[in-house]
Amino acid sequence: MTPSEAPATTNYYALSSPAGQQAAHKATLGAALKRIAPLMADEKRTVALAALAMLTSSVCGLLGPVIIARVVDDNVRRGDFAGVLRWAAILLGIYLVGLVATYAQTLEMGRVGRQMLYKLRNAIFTKLQELPVDFFNQNKAGDLISRINNDTDKLNVFFAQSLMQFASNLFFMTGAAIFILTLNTKLGLVALAPALGVIIVTRLLSAWVKHKNLESLQSLGGMSAEITESLSNFRVIVAFNRLDYFRRKFDAANSQTYTASVDAGLANNLFQPIYGLAYNLAQVAVLAYGVILIGEGQFTIGLLIGFFLYVNNFYIPLRQLAVVWTAYQQALAALDRISAVLRLESNLLVVPSTEAPRPGAVLEFDGVTFAYPGGRDVLRDATFKLEAGKTYAFVGPTGGGKTTTASLMARLYDPTAGRVLLDGRDIRSCTPQERSRKIGFILQDPLLFTGTIRDNILYGNERYASCTDEQLLALFAERNLDRLLTRFEQGLQTPVAASATTISLGQKQIIAFMRTVLRDPELLILDEATANIDTVTEQLLQQIIDRLPASTTKVIIAHRLNTIAGADEIFFVNAGDIVPAGSMEQALDMLLHGKRAS
Amino acid sequence: MPDTAAEKKPPVRPARPKGPNLLALLRPYRPLVALLAVLTIVGNALNLAVPKIVARAIDAYTQGQLVLRPVVIELSAVAFGIFLFLYLQNLAQTLASERVARDLRTKLVDKISRQDHAFIQQVTPATLLTNLTSDVDAVKMFISQAVASLIASVFLIIGASVLLLSINWKLGLSVLTVLPVIGITFNVVLRRVRKLFMQAQQAIDRLNKVINESILGAALIRLMHSEQVEYVKFVGASGAARDISLNILRLFAALIPVITFSVNLATLMILTMGGRFVINGSMTLGDFSAFNGYLSILIFPVIMIGFMSNVMAQAGASYMRLSMVLNAPEKPPTGTATDTLRGDFAVRNVNLTLGGRNVLRDVSIEAGAGTRTAVIGPTAAGKTQLLYLMTGLLKPTSGTVEYDGRNIEEYQKERLHAQIGFVFQDTIVFNLTLRENIAFSKTVTDADLEKAIATAELKDFIESLPDRLDTVVSERGTSLSGGQKQRVMLARALALNPRVLLLDDFTARVDSATERQILENVHRNYPGITILSVTQKIDAVKDFDQIVVLMEGEVLASGTHTRLMETSPEYVQIHDSQRSTSHYELLRAQ
Repeated sequence: MTPSEAPATTNYYALSSPAGQQAAHKATLGAALKRIAPLMADEKRTVALAALAMLTSSVCGLLGPVIIARVVDDNVRRGDFAGVLRWAAILLGIYLVGLVATYAQTLEMGRVGRQMLYKLRNAIFTKLQELPVDFFNQNKAGDLISRINNDTDKLNVFFAQSLMQFASNLFFMTGAAIFILTLNTKLGLVALAPALGVIIVTRLLSAWVKHKNLESLQSLGGMSAEITESLSNFRVIVAFNRLDYFRRKFDAANSQTYTASVDAGLANNLFQPIYGLAYNLAQVAVLAYGVILIGEGQFTIGLLIGFFLYVNNFYIPLRQLAVVWTAYQQALAALDRISAVLRLESNLLVVPSTEAPRPGAVLEFDGVTFAYPGGRDVLRDATFKLEAGKTYAFVGPTGGGKTTTASLMARLYDPTAGRVLLDGRDIRSCTPQERSRKIGFILQDPLLFTGTIRDNILYGNERYASCTDEQLLALFAERNLDRLLTRFEQGLQTPVAASATTISLGQKQIIAFMRTVLRDPELLILDEATANIDTVTEQLLQQIIDRLPASTTKVIIAHRLNTIAGADEIFFVNAGDIVPAGSMEQALDMLLHGKRAS
Repeated sequence: MPDTAAEKKPPVRPARPKGPNLLALLRPYRPLVALLAVLTIVGNALNLAVPKIVARAIDAYTQGQLVLRPVVIELSAVAFGIFLFLYLQNLAQTLASERVARDLRTKLVDKISRQDHAFIQQVTPATLLTNLTSDVDAVKMFISQAVASLIASVFLIIGASVLLLSINWKLGLSVLTVLPVIGITFNVVLRRVRKLFMQAQQAIDRLNKVINESILGAALIRLMHSEQVEYVKFVGASGAARDISLNILRLFAALIPVITFSVNLATLMILTMGGRFVINGSMTLGDFSAFNGYLSILIFPVIMIGFMSNVMAQAGASYMRLSMVLNAPEKPPTGTATDTLRGDFAVRNVNLTLGGRNVLRDVSIEAGAGTRTAVIGPTAAGKTQLLYLMTGLLKPTSGTVEYDGRNIEEYQKERLHAQIGFVFQDTIVFNLTLRENIAFSKTVTDADLEKAIATAELKDFIESLPDRLDTVVSERGTSLSGGQKQRVMLARALALNPRVLLLDDFTARVDSATERQILENVHRNYPGITILSVTQKIDAVKDFDQIVVLMEGEVLASGTHTRLMETSPEYVQIHDSQRSTSHYELLRAQ
């Protein structure tokens, strides 16, 4: 991405921006099925089985009345009770087949729906994992959760409950329509005319209904985001007496959701009455035109009575389609929101390098300029080299660009201009595996995953994942890490939760430190990684760092001077410039007297 | 995280041993529900009239008395009437369901906002999010789909049953025996399914948690290239959710065919028994066919109830979960004192147990108004919890926290919070403008805001932003640097014009020069303020009135810097660990 392209892609990842919502897809069943088809590929057999079961149960359902009519005519009227019993036995057999077939249909189709929901959720999650950090900076957690949970569920409802109904109703309707038309073409056309009107009205309304549903889902996502933010920051809300803020923000989101849902509900509920109206108008038309036809001698009263039954056979499934159609519009709206995530592509792809590696430095910045989307340059034309085995300190006022520099070293972002070289190769040509093996980065805000201390220390560490606790403790002892573990009451098995405040920030930083050191990185980056750890423990960490292999390159960002005291070289980062500071004294002088950027 | 009071009760408390009464939920919406019932019944009755009118027309025609025009008009009027009533019914159920959902969410949030910090930690935000979204949705679905269908179904079932019995009570009774069979089947399935629905919602909670953590940890996951690890976790949770829903499916897939089959058995009964009655002459053929006709009227509502039972079971399970939150005991605030604080505070013999761990043991600290106290000690010494106690976010297991000689419990919460500025250790910024983030409390005036910004050394930074104070900060504060976020949090606390300022390691990410400047600013701009600062850096607090050494939850020593250097070996050790920088301090003093 060059700087000139930057404005166009400013909010590429913001799903709530107008660009993010421009997922205008055609509201046709075919288009929707095409988008979903890959997820159903493995389910073809199940779908076929379900269809077969549906056919069987429909046939069984149709056979029942036909047989009863026969029995009445042939047996009951003639007083043949033995015949009645014989037919009753056959009927029982048909009912049993119907029982099995209906069970199989519901089960198999439900399974397809659930399986698809499962795959779709996994697909979105995989996509989330592919997208860069930038994406998460631009979107709210609650809205993403809503997309993965609520929106996929709307699709599930459509597939599990409505799709088969749709198919079976269509099957019945086609049969009935053919019957009606063969019985009397003219009257048949009159009977089917309201259905044509319904199709036209449906086509006209669909886009609007889908839009209303989309708005409703958007506001639900917005509310979810509001709740997530407020609940995770509840401490501040309490301590600053702002429960009213929480309530007010929520009330606004709540009433917006209410309005949007009512609008969507009214739109969704329009189909059912309209389809019902078509049914009744068809009956009026058939009665009126039928009577006229009879008067002209083209039709008989007996046929007219039969005709009404077939009109029922056509319109009752059509009326049920109204419900299906609503579910379908909701599913389409949900699919739009899901597709908005799925169509995003990472802008941090691995690009093959054409150049030969430039030997010499472990890491090199070559004229690096960087700006966050829509922001000013945070770094300007930065050039420096880090050599193997040395310790580098990056100092400077807050907001000067230190964390950004470190993030670029690990390719959390790509520079807007210039290059970052890892082991002499453009870092963009390194695979994520290579990067993560070489670089150990301890972030400013440590994050623990729900689990135990052990889970968290071994997080993403395949090498030691299968170690027993004893082996692990021996490994810790080897590296001096064992003393850090004494800070936890239950040692490796101490439980932790990401949201809980039972583990202090300092403790979290200790775990993050152990996690990273245990991976033996070639380049160790500590971004304020020990800021909340007491200085006595910090000395311990220093000893551990000192005992790392001599080839380990260390990059330290810190405000505490003792943390950076042992550095081989100090860089001063301020207002977009990275300049070598020479000695500690010089660095201090710059810190004290240099103009601060913030 | 259970606090002292929460620990006394078991974590999961069945709010109501039996299923909560969903219908009770509808009580406040009685007029709307009654309207819904009337519209549904009228709509259905009109629907039944259509075949009657058509039949009458045909009868009239065969008798040669048909006048087409009035019949067409009548039928068209009924058709439009059905359209109108059906739409009105839909309108009423949409309004009713959305209102119930909205009010339920409001009630929940109202309840949550009256709970303390410990409650949120205990229930977890992930669960509360599921409560407010998918649980409320399930209840909403019940009202929008089930209520009207149930009313119509019950209406039709009763009507058809009465007609059946009136034609031939013997056959009628035997046919109606299928109804209890259907009822029992429902009962058995629903009882099993409700448990499964509870499990399903819990699986969604877990799913929410994994997604949330993977979003919060996005940078870490990319650095560690542990996308696969997260994927495995997610697939585990997502697979569990699928498996539970497949179990639910298995039960429901059986339910509807079983019901249809029962109804079919009734048909067989009519055929055999009724057939026999007709053959031996105790029943007419017309009644026989009427029996069949009414049975088909019975089938539809019965199947409808089958479909709706799914919705009902889900709503029942969700409402049970909601009831747990709604019925959670509250601790009503008892404090009434609204005095303006002088700023004296005392912590007396405080013990604090969290999750079975003694976090603080017999801690006592006392400080006068306008003094400055520092708390220093290793990681996990209980420093942060001490500050939480002093704001009332946590309550001590024993001992007291006092302001101006009065127990913290005696103060009105809001009034107290308005006078205590708390700078949290971890960064919490809202997706609001900088102005709203800093003037977070409602009482902040423009002058307060200005003063707080200047004191926190944020003026230059804010001036440099194109939108200044109106710059919107992103949800996780990613547009600000670590140090800037901490200063925003400090400014937020200072904007209260507090009498007491609690600082939790607030300068950990601010450079020393800025830190010094900020402390000077506070001293100058907020005269007479009492400060309690938890810190790692001795240098910044050397001249404080009192320094408390806290280790493993115990106060090891307290006094001035000079005194501690003479009496506390632990303090000296901490001091020595920071001495490597001491010659730079000289430089800085120049």
